[in-house]
Amino acid sequence: MPAIGQEQAVAFLIDSTCEVFETMILRSLTQGVPIEGDALRPRSNVVATVSFAGAESGIVAFYSTKDAACEIAGALLGMNPAAVYGDMPDAIGEVTNMIAGALRTKMTDAGSPCAMSIPTVTVGSDFYTKYVSDVRRVLCPFKMGEQEVFVELIRQKR
Amino acid sequence: MRRIIINTLNKLGFTDVVEASNGREGLDRLAANPVDLIITDWNMPEMTGIEFIRSLRGNEKLPQVPVLMITSNAAKDDIVEALRAGVTNYVVKPFTSDTMREKIESVLAG
Repeated sequence: MPAIGQEQAVAFLIDSTCEVFETMILRSLTQGVPIEGDALRPRSNVVATVSFAGAESGIVAFYSTKDAACEIAGALLGMNPAAVYGDMPDAIGEVTNMIAGALRTKMTDAGSPCAMSIPTVTVGSDFYTKYVSDVRRVLCPFKMGEQEVFVELIRQKR
Repeated sequence: MRRIIINTLNKLGFTDVVEASNGREGLDRLAANPVDLIITDWNMPEMTGIEFIRSLRGNEKLPQVPVLMITSNAAKDDIVEALRAGVTNYVVKPFTSDTMREKIESVLAG
């Protein structure tokens, strides 16, 4: 079965991200231009990933600053962003899970079924993530009000 | 997700909510606390949502209340599996408050 084309896969990811933010977080996102490759790394303190495997394999990654992550978590949990810090990682993990889940549904409907892992969330500073397999990466930037968030699709090359 | 669902329920006016951190705890709590509706996730620690529902439906001593499953699995086969296990209805993530309200009202109306 042929893999989904890169352009279509990225469109699926962008649609999934906007859908999650509009329905669950009640925030509209302004989409930026997707960036192919791994030269540009977003400035972030929170990184969440969900892996998928099946007809193809890869990772969906979500990046944000702590402030943006707390704003997102506050909207999800009905709390003041300043009070969510302990709950923020779980909330961001769930956001990434929902984005990846919506992507999975779209990929499955397009003929590329896959299963997903549970989310992993990393919070900190001065770190980078590296993927050992030969992968193709596309980073999708979004503006959420004054904040920036990024979602990345990492697909294992066939 | 549990906190997110509770926040949504509170916003819809459902404030009398009994929580459980996993399916086993949910079954124990159900035996002690009568409820009108159960909301469960698909992927949970210790016991999946499907396993929870099968345990519930297979135990005549437990109240057979309607079950709403929250899931990111919108694939047809997954939905069929959930309905066969005994789920009353399902909500696909992401969902709006309005969708949750409609599903709850539909399930409670029987």
